[in-house]
Amino acid sequence: MLRFIVRRVLGAIPILFGLSVILFMFLRLLPGDPAIAILGQHATPQLIAQIHETLGLDKPLYVQYLNYLGQLLQGNFGASIIDSRAVADTFAIRFPITVELTIGALIFAVGLGIPLGRLAARHPNGWIDGLVTVVSLFGISIPIFVLGYTLAFIFAVELHLLPYPGPIDPRLSVDPVTHFPIIDAVLSGNPGAVVDAFAHLILPAIALGSIPLAIVTRITRASVIDVSNEDYVRTARAKGLTRKRVDDRHIMRNAWLPVTTVIGLQVGSLLGGAVLTETVFGWPGVGSWVVTSIQNHDYIVVQSLILIFATIFLTVNLIVDIGYAFLNPRIRYS
Amino acid sequence: MAVQAPAVVVRAAPRASRGLWRDALRRLLRNGPAMLGLLFIAIFVAAAILAPLISPYDPTVGVIGEAKHGPSLQHLMGTDSVGRDEYSRVLFGARISLTVGSVAVLTGLVFGCLVGALAGGAGGIVDTILMRVVDVLLAVPGILLAIGIVAWLGQGQLQIVLAVGISYAPIFARLLRGSLLALRESDYVMAARSMGASPARVLLRHMLPNALTPLIVQATLAAATAIIDVAGLGFLGLGPGDPRVAEWGEMLTGSAGFLQNAPYLIFFPGAAIVISAIGFNLLGDGLREALDPRLKR
Amino acid sequence: MRLLPEPAGRIEGGRVEFEGQDLIELDESEMRELRGKEIAMIFQDPMTSLNPVLTIEEQMVETIKAHKKITGSDARARAIELLSMVGIPQPEQRLRNFPHQFSGGMRQRVMIAMALALEPKLLIADEPTTALDVTIQAQVLELLSRLAADHGTAVILITHDLGVVAGMTRRTNVMYAGFVVESATTAELFAQPSHPYTVGLLHSMPRLDAQPGEPLIPIEGTPPDLRFAPVGCPFAPRCAWRVESCWRGMPPLEPLQPTTEVHMTGSGATHRCACWNRPTAEEASAGRPLRAGFTAAPEPIGAGR
Ligand code: SF4
Repeated sequence: MLRFIVRRVLGAIPILFGLSVILFMFLRLLPGDPAIAILGQHATPQLIAQIHETLGLDKPLYVQYLNYLGQLLQGNFGASIIDSRAVADTFAIRFPITVELTIGALIFAVGLGIPLGRLAARHPNGWIDGLVTVVSLFGISIPIFVLGYTLAFIFAVELHLLPYPGPIDPRLSVDPVTHFPIIDAVLSGNPGAVVDAFAHLILPAIALGSIPLAIVTRITRASVIDVSNEDYVRTARAKGLTRKRVDDRHIMRNAWLPVTTVIGLQVGSLLGGAVLTETVFGWPGVGSWVVTSIQNHDYIVVQSLILIFATIFLTVNLIVDIGYAFLNPRIRYS
Repeated sequence: MAVQAPAVVVRAAPRASRGLWRDALRRLLRNGPAMLGLLFIAIFVAAAILAPLISPYDPTVGVIGEAKHGPSLQHLMGTDSVGRDEYSRVLFGARISLTVGSVAVLTGLVFGCLVGALAGGAGGIVDTILMRVVDVLLAVPGILLAIGIVAWLGQGQLQIVLAVGISYAPIFARLLRGSLLALRESDYVMAARSMGASPARVLLRHMLPNALTPLIVQATLAAATAIIDVAGLGFLGLGPGDPRVAEWGEMLTGSAGFLQNAPYLIFFPGAAIVISAIGFNLLGDGLREALDPRLKR
Repeated sequence: MRLLPEPAGRIEGGRVEFEGQDLIELDESEMRELRGKEIAMIFQDPMTSLNPVLTIEEQMVETIKAHKKITGSDARARAIELLSMVGIPQPEQRLRNFPHQFSGGMRQRVMIAMALALEPKLLIADEPTTALDVTIQAQVLELLSRLAADHGTAVILITHDLGVVAGMTRRTNVMYAGFVVESATTAELFAQPSHPYTVGLLHSMPRLDAQPGEPLIPIEGTPPDLRFAPVGCPFAPRCAWRVESCWRGMPPLEPLQPTTEVHMTGSGATHRCACWNRPTAEEASAGRPLRAGFTAAPEPIGAGR
């Protein structure tokens, strides 16, 4: 088991290494002086010289790369050219917002997708199954921003049921301590703020979670149907176990396995989708930061954020793989 | 107590592939949802081709003083914030979305197949290196990779095609390599090889045709996501960047401002994206069932 | 056992009687109480019949607890007792193992232990040894028959291995395409096979008393598609003895001596056979019809198969 974990961790390292090479080349491969490309319309001779200095552009390429890598390993991702703040600092403020949104979407997708998948699998090709199939078809076919605005229109503009936009009502002036909107609301000791923070999370979480929801539902359905046809499920029924016990213990314990893998992979689509969701709902997280940085041609930030997102994605999948191994005794004991 | 004859599993040999394809086509034609999907696609293809003929207005010319008029008989889908006819823009938008989306998928397919065939065919160190590169690309969440590439290459239709195409290529590469590896172990490829067929012949005649079916299915489903991703780029302001072309995603860029007084400006282009994506998804699922009858969804 | 899901498995009709109860009439929860407790089952493939993600302990204890009010530790003790009964060494440790840590033969022993956990009155063993090595087969069968005898459990053994039938059973129903075509005590069945299918089966097996050079006679053709109910005798397409009426009507299962009173069970069970044109004793030992000029009746045109 330990060998398995070590092998997986070691497997992720060359991927990040390779990505850092690609991102490093990203700036150098732009035509012309990278400093001008980085600075764009902000270029002044003084700034250009400064960039040359920090990037070490006069040194050979491999030295530049080693410098870059060395900086990365120290957690130094460089600074934004817009506000000169270190990427790592701004990230620390914005990331909790994205995490909260992503977790909310994941809870929505998994919390609803698994029961729906099980329900559909109970009577394959029955009417519930058909309904679930149609809903999941919509889920994967509707862009996040279309769904997001539609939800905002229905629930915020027309029905006034839920707030839009932002992660929390600014009039509540909650102190940003952890930068997680809900946790900060709790810390503020104002119950109204907690309710408000949760209410703000609902619509973006649904918009972001719709694709994972559709996929988790489909996989759960397929997996439950597969497992239900296994011999050991017949054995369990032949032993006279109750239906609930057969479902929960014998079917779900096995059906979980492919579902976990898929949930891990969905984290990627959640991180990518956060870019759109945060833009639609005006959340000042990492996703909307990617968009403004691109609009500002703030390449250093874009480059760092891509690397960070990839690292998070790989880490989550590593954890999921290890979790999978724990769920699956055939791997755990080999 | 019956003496059971073992079930004989026959994998269609490449030679018999014509019959196989015809069977698949027949199953596809009988698949209701897939035909509905095809109908959706056909409607948008027709809209894209006929846009200049059937559009009531010039999609690029706005009329001052007619901005944000709701749907009416003059303007079926209303007018946008600079007074352009939304219906004409949705029609013309089909051109961008369908061409950019499908060309992007084709680009991804070509790149992916080259890499996948090279890796799966050559094996060894070539395989290892190529697959590591694929792993690197897959580690970046799809749309983010496309965003990064557009940021790098700049705006424009070709750039979007490349960006979305490259973000899909790793998926195709992995799929093709996987089936090539599986096929390499299969009995009839072994048989072909033992009869002295050259490696290139084995790859081209015996393996590729069989590895094709999952690729076709995946490519059709990818067309749905490509349309969504292209629209996403447009929405984020990374679209073609050309005021002369209408693009569904771009039409939604200012949506926050439409919520209060012009929600139809969100609804119509949004519906166009959703319906065309549903079309490709339905067709893709139908193709999967038709090409692999053992599989049911 | 009513385990197959609808619509793949459907009970067309008839009665399934167990201790005077028609199982078809029971509702699902009554049936569930019977399963495992009164009627237990062992399946063909021990590699897939145990749940891979649950330990042997979990699977055995849940069986016991499903039918008995019993504490966890008592159930566990019972499980250990059962495992040692079926000859699994170090049962305490093995209890914590997962199925993939056992060999096929050992898994089938676990299945037997689990099936006998509640001392059922009836044990249905569906080809319990076909997936096992030949040497293991004998051990498992020996274990099964010994334990069944000790517990007073009746065993229905489903197999197509006639050697197993001869060695293990007292009474045999020969089934073809879902129909009982011959029924007798095992001794009588082997002494006087009376249905062409039984005759065919016996001749397709190597025998010790065969003449040197005597060929094995395979049964030609394939079993029918069970989804279509045959009009005539289900065996007719493959039968060398068939006469014209075979194509038209299903032969009833009738005693060989029409006058005797029918005994369904026990050592004196009546020998019955479903055939319009029974092979004679000489034909049975020869394995083919001997009557001069006899040829199998051809399939009538438009028989509607
Ligand atoms: S003789 Fe006729 S009834 Fe008897 S088994 Fe043959 S076909 Fe069936």
